[in-house]
Order: sequence, then C-alpha cells, then structure tokens
Amino acid sequence: MALLLISLSILIISSLLILLFCRSKEISACVFLWSLVAACGFGLWSALSVLCQKAMSLPLTGVDFRVHGTIPLGEFYIGIDALSAFFLLLFFILSLAAGIYGYGYLRDYTGQRNTGVHFALYHLLIIVITLVLVAKNAVLFLVAWEIMTFVSYFLITFYNESESVRKAGYLYLISTHVGVFCLLVMFLIMGAQAGSMNFDQMTATQFPLALAALLFMLAFVGFGIKAGFIPFHIWLPHAHPAAPTHISALLSGVVVKLGIYGLMRVMAIVKDFPLWCGVLLLIMAAISGVGGVLYALGQHEIKKLLAYHSIENIGIITLGLGIGMIGHAYHQETVAFIGYAGALLHTFNHAVFKGLLFLSAGSVIHCTHTGDMDHMGGLFKLLPWTGHLFLIGSLSICGLPLFNGFISEWLVYRALLEGVFHLDVFGIIFSSLAIVALALVGGLAALCFTKAFGVIFLGSNKSSEGHQGKEGRLSNIDIKEGDLMLRGPMILLAAICLWGGLFPANMVYFAFQGTQAITGLQIPFVLKEAVINPLLSATRVLSFGGVIFSVLALVRDFLVLHYPVRLTETWSCGYVKLSHRMQYTASSFARPILKIFRSALVFRVEGKISKEYFPAWTSLKSSVKDVSESLLFRPLFYVIKKFSRKLKWIQSGHTQTYILYVFLFLVILLVWKLI
Amino acid sequence: MHILLLLHLTILFVFPPLLLGIIGKTKAFFAGRIGPPLLQPYFDIFKLMHKESVYSVTTNWIFMAAPMVSTAAILAAGTLMPLADFKPPIQFWGDMVLFVYLFALARFVIVLAALDTGSSLEGMGASREATFGCLSEITMFLNLTILALLSRSLSLSEIFLGGLSSSWLQVGPVLILVVVSFFLILLVENSRVPIDDPETHLELTMIHEVIVLDHSGIDLAYVLYGKAVKLFLFASMLVSVIITFRVHDFLIDTAFFFFELIVFAVLIGIVESTMARLRLNKVPYLLFSAFIFSIFGFTVILVRGGH
Amino acid sequence: MNVWLDAILILVVILGLFIVASTRLGTMIKIFSWQSLLLGCVPFLMYAQNMEFYIIIVSLVAIVLRGLIMPYFLFWAIRHVSIRTEIRPFIGLGATLLLSGLSIVSSFLLASKLVFPISISSDMLIPSSFSLIIMGFLLLVGRTKAISQVVGYLVLENGIFLFAILLLRKMPLLVEMGILLDLFIAAVVMGIVVNHISAEFNNTDTTALATLKD
Repeated sequence: MALLLISLSILIISSLLILLFCRSKEISACVFLWSLVAACGFGLWSALSVLCQKAMSLPLTGVDFRVHGTIPLGEFYIGIDALSAFFLLLFFILSLAAGIYGYGYLRDYTGQRNTGVHFALYHLLIIVITLVLVAKNAVLFLVAWEIMTFVSYFLITFYNESESVRKAGYLYLISTHVGVFCLLVMFLIMGAQAGSMNFDQMTATQFPLALAALLFMLAFVGFGIKAGFIPFHIWLPHAHPAAPTHISALLSGVVVKLGIYGLMRVMAIVKDFPLWCGVLLLIMAAISGVGGVLYALGQHEIKKLLAYHSIENIGIITLGLGIGMIGHAYHQETVAFIGYAGALLHTFNHAVFKGLLFLSAGSVIHCTHTGDMDHMGGLFKLLPWTGHLFLIGSLSICGLPLFNGFISEWLVYRALLEGVFHLDVFGIIFSSLAIVALALVGGLAALCFTKAFGVIFLGSNKSSEGHQGKEGRLSNIDIKEGDLMLRGPMILLAAICLWGGLFPANMVYFAFQGTQAITGLQIPFVLKEAVINPLLSATRVLSFGGVIFSVLALVRDFLVLHYPVRLTETWSCGYVKLSHRMQYTASSFARPILKIFRSALVFRVEGKISKEYFPAWTSLKSSVKDVSESLLFRPLFYVIKKFSRKLKWIQSGHTQTYILYVFLFLVILLVWKLI
Repeated sequence: MHILLLLHLTILFVFPPLLLGIIGKTKAFFAGRIGPPLLQPYFDIFKLMHKESVYSVTTNWIFMAAPMVSTAAILAAGTLMPLADFKPPIQFWGDMVLFVYLFALARFVIVLAALDTGSSLEGMGASREATFGCLSEITMFLNLTILALLSRSLSLSEIFLGGLSSSWLQVGPVLILVVVSFFLILLVENSRVPIDDPETHLELTMIHEVIVLDHSGIDLAYVLYGKAVKLFLFASMLVSVIITFRVHDFLIDTAFFFFELIVFAVLIGIVESTMARLRLNKVPYLLFSAFIFSIFGFTVILVRGGH
Repeated sequence: MNVWLDAILILVVILGLFIVASTRLGTMIKIFSWQSLLLGCVPFLMYAQNMEFYIIIVSLVAIVLRGLIMPYFLFWAIRHVSIRTEIRPFIGLGATLLLSGLSIVSSFLLASKLVFPISISSDMLIPSSFSLIIMGFLLLVGRTKAISQVVGYLVLENGIFLFAILLLRKMPLLVEMGILLDLFIAAVVMGIVVNHISAEFNNTDTTALATLKD
C-alpha cells in the first residue's frame, strides 16, 4: 500500500511540476517521462506484491489506507485486494508503455497546443484510474469515475480543431454520463441495503435475489456503456480514432476495461444473482463478440477497425464472466472459477496486445499520414520493426497458439466445455451456444487480422495519391521507422505477449488470485493444477512444433544452398500488365464473409459498375453501417430532442428568471422539509 | 512405451502422402486410366525438393516461412491425435481446443503468405480460404463438443480411444449426423471436390490451390506435405468416430485401422469422381448444412439425455 | 428404443432440409417423393408388433398417393408450364436453411417440454413432425413459384401426417380421410393455381398475383 501511495504522490507532485514548467517543452516532457517511469514502477511493485503475497493466505482484504471524513457521505478509504491488484498490474504496464510512446509521439509535435498540459492531464488520468481501482468506498469510486470521464474527454479531444474529434468527444461524454446515472442509483440502493457506502460492509450484506437482479441490470447498463457492449457501444468507434494514438491505446486497454472491473466488483459485492442474469450476460457477450468482429471486418480505417475489435474482445471477456455467473448460479464452482479466471486473464491479455496494436497502428499513421488501409500496402519492407510488432499483436489477438491470446481463450473454452459437462440441459444449451459464438469470433478475428496485416504491410503499395513517387511506389524518404521512444514500449508489450503465451503459469496464477477476490472462495489447489498443467502440456506441443520447424528450416536452408534460387516479379498468371492497384484491397478481402452475414448487418456497396468494354471511369465503395446507431439511438435521441424542445420555455435567457427558479426551489425544499 | 510413441510419430510423418496416392489411383480407375503409381505424392515431394526456387521480389520472409510454420503446426496437431491404438505422445484435458487452433495457425500463415505476393488472384484465394475456414471452424467445434459430451472427456485421446464405444448403441442415428457433418468439414478443409478442385491450377473459382500459386521448389513440397498430413489427421479422426470396434489385439487393430483409412481414401476418390464441383456461391450453403446437421444431432442428444 | 424408426425420422427431417435448400423444382419434387416414401414406412415400424389390416392400407395409400402419384402430377405440371428453377426466392437460401435449422432445434426443445396423453413409441416423432410443418411454412412463405409453394404445402402435409400416425390406432378412418382430403386440396390448389396463373400472366410466378390488389 505504501508503495502505491508513493507512486500516487509522485504523480501528483510531478503533474504540478509539469504545469509549472509547461512553458518549457523540454523540461515538462522530461519530468513527465521520469515521473511516469518511477510511478509506474512503484505501482507495479505494489500490485505484484499483493498478487504474490496472497499466495499463502486467504484474508481477502488487502492492506488498506483510510482517512475518515474527507469526502461527504463517505471517507477516503482505499485498499488493494487481488482483484484491484490484477487490474493495477495491467493498468500500470499499459500506462507506462502508452506514456513513453506519447512522449516520443509528441516530442516533435509542432502545433499550437501546449503538450505540457496534455502530459499533466495524462498523470491526472493515471491518478484517478488508480483511485477507481483501489476505491473501497462507493462515493470515492463515483467521484473518481466522474473525474476520469472528464479527464479522458480532454485527452481524447487533443486535436480539437477538427469537427469530428469534438463530436466524438461529446458523444463519449454524453453516453458515459447515462451510465453514471445508473451507477449512482445502483450504489445508492446498495448503500441503503448495507447501511454504509463502504464496499466492505456491502460485501458482508446479503442481498435478496430480486434486488440483486435489479442491481445487475443497473450495473449492466452503467458499466456496459463504458465497456462497450453492443447496443451501448456507439461512442467507442468514434472516440478511439479521434484520440491521439497513445490515448486510444489507453482508452481501449484500460478505460474500457474499467467497465469490466466494475461488473466484477459488483459480482464480488452482491455474489448471488438469479440464473437469468448470467444467461443475459452470456447472450449479450455473444452478440458483442460476433457483432464487434463483423463490424470490424467492414472497416477500412485502421483505428476504427481496432476499436471494433475492442468490442469483440470485451465480448470474449464477458463470455467468461457470463459462464462464471451461470456456474455460480448452478453452484458448480469449477465452472465459475475457470470462467472468471478466463475473463480476468483475457482482460489483461487484451490490454497488452490491443495496446501493442494501437501503438503500431499509430506508427503506421504517423508515417503514412493516412488511416485508410486501402491506401497502404507493402509497408513491411519500409517499417520492419512496426511490421513485426503488428504481426505479433495480430497473432495474439486471434488467439493463435504461441501467444498470450490463446491462453485466455483456452481458459474461456475450458470453462464453457466444463459447463457442458456439469450443467443441466438449459445450461448446456447456453454453453454450447457460447462455444459456437467463441469459435465464430475466433475465425472471424483471424480473417480480420489477415486482412489488416496483409493489406497494410504485405503486397505492394496501393496508394494512387499523396505520398507517391513517380514510379508508383512510396518514396522511402518520407517513411521512417520511429526511434527507440516509439519502438521501446511496443517491444515491451510484444515481449509480454510472447511471455504470456509461452510461460502461462504465472499469469494464470494471478488470474486465479483475482478470481478468489471475486467469488470470496478459496480455489482448491487441485483445480489450479488441473488448469495449469494442461497449459504446460500445450507448451510441450508447441515446442515439439518448434523442433519440427527448425528441422524443416534446416532442410530448406541446405536445399536452397544447393539448388538455384531466382528472384522475379510475382507471377501474373499470364496477364500482361499487373498494376499495384489490382491487388486485393481490404474491402474486397472482407466481401465474401460480409455477403454471407449481410442480413445480420447493414452492408452496402455503392457505385456504378460500368458495362462498357472500355470504361473511362468507374467507382465502387463499400461500407458497413452500424445498425444500433441508426436503428436504436437515432430514434431515441429524436424522441428525447422532441420532448426537450417542449420544455424549452423554461430556459428564457434572463438571469432574473433563473434566480427566481433558484428561489422557488429553495421555497419548495423548505416547505417539503416542514411537512 | 517409447517404441510406441516413436511408431506413432513414424506413422504420422510417413503415411500421409499415401492417402493422396490412393485417392489419385481411385480417380484414375473411375476415369478408365491406369493413373500414377500409388507412391506418386512421395515422388512429387522428392522431385520438388530438387527444383529451383523462385521468389517474387514483393515477398518478405513471411512468404518463405509460412509453409514451414503451417506444416510444423499441422504436425504438432498430429501429436495430439491417437492413431489406431497408439496413444498420442502428448495428451491433456482440453487439447481439442489446441488441436483446432493449430490448424487455424496453419491457415493464418498460409493466407498471409498469399497476401505477401501482392497478386490479386492469390488475394482472392486467401479471402475465400479464410472465409470458409472460419465457417467450418464453428462446426468443427460443435462436433467436438458433441463428442466430448458423449464420451465425457475433453481430451482427443480419450474421446477416440474407446470414449465413444457405447454411444453408437445409444444414439447411433444421431452420430451418423455428426459423421456426415464431419465429412463435409473434411471436404471443405482439405479442399476436396465438391468445394474445390485439387487438380486444376488456374481457375478463378478455386480456393486452396490458388493460394500457393507462387510457391515453388522446397516450399511447395512443404505445402503439399502439410496438406497430406492434414487430410490424414482429419481422415483418422473420422475413422475413429465411425469404427469404435476393437478386438484388443494390437496388430489386428492397427492393421484394421489402416485398412479403414485406405477404404476412406477410396471413398473420397469415389466422391471426387462422381460429383461435380459446386459453384462457389453454393459452398456456404454446404457449410450451413454441415452446421445444421451437427446442431440437429446435438439437439437430439440433449433431448434424449444420452449424455 | 427403435433405432430404425429414429434413423428414418432423422432422414425425413434431413430430406426436408434438402427440399428447403434446393432451387431446382425437379430436385425438390424428387426429394419430396423420397420423403413421402420413407414416411409411408413409419407406420409399419411403429406398429410392427401388432400389425392390423387397416394400418397396412393407410400406409400403402400414403406411399402410393404421396410418394408416386403426387410427384408424377407435379412433374407433369413442371413440363406443362416449363419452369425449372426457383430464381428469386423472397427469403434467401442461406437464411431459409438457417431458419429451418433453428426450427429443428426449437421444435425438439418444445416437444421435450410437452406432455402427451398417449404413449409414443419414439420421442422423435412429434419434433420431426413439428419441424416438417415449419419447413413447409418456410417454403410457402419464402418462395415465389407456385409449384415450390405446392411442394411446401405438401411438406407441411407430410408433417401433419406424421402427427396423425399417432392417432392411427384410435381413429384410423379419420386419418385416412385426412390424407385423402389433404391430397385432394393440394391437387385442386395446384391445378387451379398453375393453370390460371399461367393462363393469365404467362408465367407461374405468384408475385404476379400482387398486381391484382385494388
């Protein structure tokens, strides 16, 4: 705990220092960098110490720190239990990487805005997110949550001269506020039931099932908006591309995950939910997962694609949570434990590889000055570092073996399959439904990332405009690999991806620690063994594959030395003049699958296909439209707008009238109190 | 014990191309020809190893590594699969997920290699391969879930080594559905005839062959070999589902297993000779039907309470 | 448990799927004929222990009428109006397939919840009949050509027949009447529809009927 407090105070002091020196770019950046490294180091240390120390004993309350009466209705009461520690771990890793990257990214920024303020806000964001994660009091939690929303709003709208960025920022602000309203009601009900706003007392309270269901619905909407479940996700694909890259990484890796954290915290507090809550969560998770990846397939803008993938991964995480809840409702603790552990581990893994992907996408955008994938291609040769790192990220996000995504997806599969074994017919139906959904998500994600990686980095450049030399390819001069400040954080994240895939035992162990904090139960040692041992065997299979690979490579090397090798153009199958623009684009790659799922989403191809033999001009444009935006939210907002127009007379514009309102309100309050 | 493991690996490494040879022979028989010798796939692989390699200037190391990675992944998946009475070298609770994901890895790298050439035809094939692969993966998982439910095990070796023996008596007709669904998946995954024609090399409707259009020499040999191993693994999986009967005599069982595999290869050859390739836009319907078969079987099992 | 009965019922449902998935009218009719032949065998299997004369009669009538005569007429109708394929169905093939898959699942789950007063020799009988009925509806709703709609109607009738087999012992005459009536209606509907539409509009696309509204 002391370590965390040290880290927090470093952040507070340094953010003040940055603001003080914000006239001088160099000093503020320097302070930012070193304070960030120090604070994240201490933070990681504290999180790890909690996760490791809990190995022996089960008292689930960590080391606490409380100051009485500093906040109205509550107290400044923070503490780290295993759940907080697990999230702190991923949060500090990612904020360290994103922060260093941001430092490198903004160092040669020559615009009008003051980067010092941005850095100070970044520190502030770290502080409030840490507070959200360690708060043990509902009021403190809500206050930190609110400040976090505002701070991240300012960080998102860094490029606020653009109209779309401001709009995205507003959308984020408004939709998360709807969520906060639900959370407020939820915590008030909890507080009323427990007689205290402290999480400890709430956890000790027994909630009746009906009330638990109500609380679940409120939490589902409130945290679901933050997490981006599919009908509530509208802010997500707008906010991520609008923000500067390191902020998108943080947004997708951590801020979105706080919704998951909130749900888990509510589960830790309320514990017993009716069965249908778990089923609802599972169904919404399946919809989010499949829907998210389908929408991602239709995107041509790289950051938007990644943003939709966040929704998909939230879906996978929630599948784990849902099967956990169902298992808990059936009193099948094995299912519950593995499900929760899978959800936690995937949260961590997603934060890491999505951070990696966002950062490398940022490097690509930084170099090519465009986010449109159809204008890229062939960047692997020009940006080797970024290319390899993006490849590692793609392999991890598809859950392919060797990388960390596989481990967590395996855990979720395992939980669902255990569900098939241990539950009754109703439970089996939903677990097998979830297995199908997860398999579909996995396959579609592989499709989507072969598309993204292939179109951006492989082949040759497809661009017809902008950064092209005369000979039709990107001139090497204006495409440069970033320096160590940009590369370092990505390498760190990629290393974690690989480490998590090859040596899964530690992270799975930490995830089990978090699971114990959620369920409040001790996980039997046998179960831990039963989960970790298969993963070690899986590593053996992979190492066997590695041996085969090296044998094959040796044979190949030998043969290549002894038989001739020739370099030519790509074989054009007899066509005479192949142009770079005839390559498969992102849209054409995704077209077959989108055609199959056409009825599930609004998929449009515009443009005229010319029927003449020698067409002079033809155009084709395909787009995927978000259904929930146009079918759910637009009508809703329309109704709200119409309704609020009716109330517009209240706002007269005269100050006097407003003072009258205040006065009237006071009188009403007085009268009410008197009665 | 080690001898057995070694034998398992030997079969896994050596036997697969023979299946392709048998299929080819069967097709030749139906076409009224003598056909290539049974060992032709081995000769092909050997021949390709001594050929010149041609690389496109557009490609990166991904193009060269992909055949090796995919073959290694498929062979690694083979270490999880029991063959006849040979226990697989590695088995663990939940290895079926790894099994499917290793195939996914193999597909992923091959698709990337196709995109690496920057050829529009290969892009086309890559897109189709990824699309159909993702649709067949869900059916694959559903089928494996059914088998797991019936044999109460999550490990391939336990499922296929006796886990299903009582299920045929209980829910026989339903298992036929699963088998049919598996067979369709096998045809899709291994690009056999109703879906794709492994014989043609330059046709816009084809899927798998076009991906490896630019591979040559040793790389192409690896691709061919990997394909044979994949077919072998799928075939032995299907055979283990169909024939659960064992006489518990090691030699007889093994011989019987190989006999089944050979019969199976002949069956594929017959299917290929008697059917025409489907139009490309009909392939998703085939995959849907496989999925529906599987889900139909699953529902009946659930309602029956056969688990 | 009667394995053969199970196998036949599964096959019947799968043939229903094939009908739903095919666009060629000839194939549809052929598969329908196979399906009806198989359905005609169901009473033999169900009442194998205590076979009675009228059961044989009912089954034989069903086999001959549904399996042979109706397909013959349908083929005659195809030749008559010279249509081969269903070109533009209202509901796409893939969607119809997935919907029928869904209908199979839901009818099985539904049937497992229902309680029947009489004992049933196979628990797959009711759900199979439900799924056939739903597939028939899907064909009726989703197809445009009159002949495929007639096939849809007949598939639906097959589903009802399957249900009626249960009542065969209780009220055989009713079932027999039902079969004959159904077929009569089907024949009449087909005759009228096919002849009139082709006479009026020169094709048998039922969408042309939409021009008749006000």
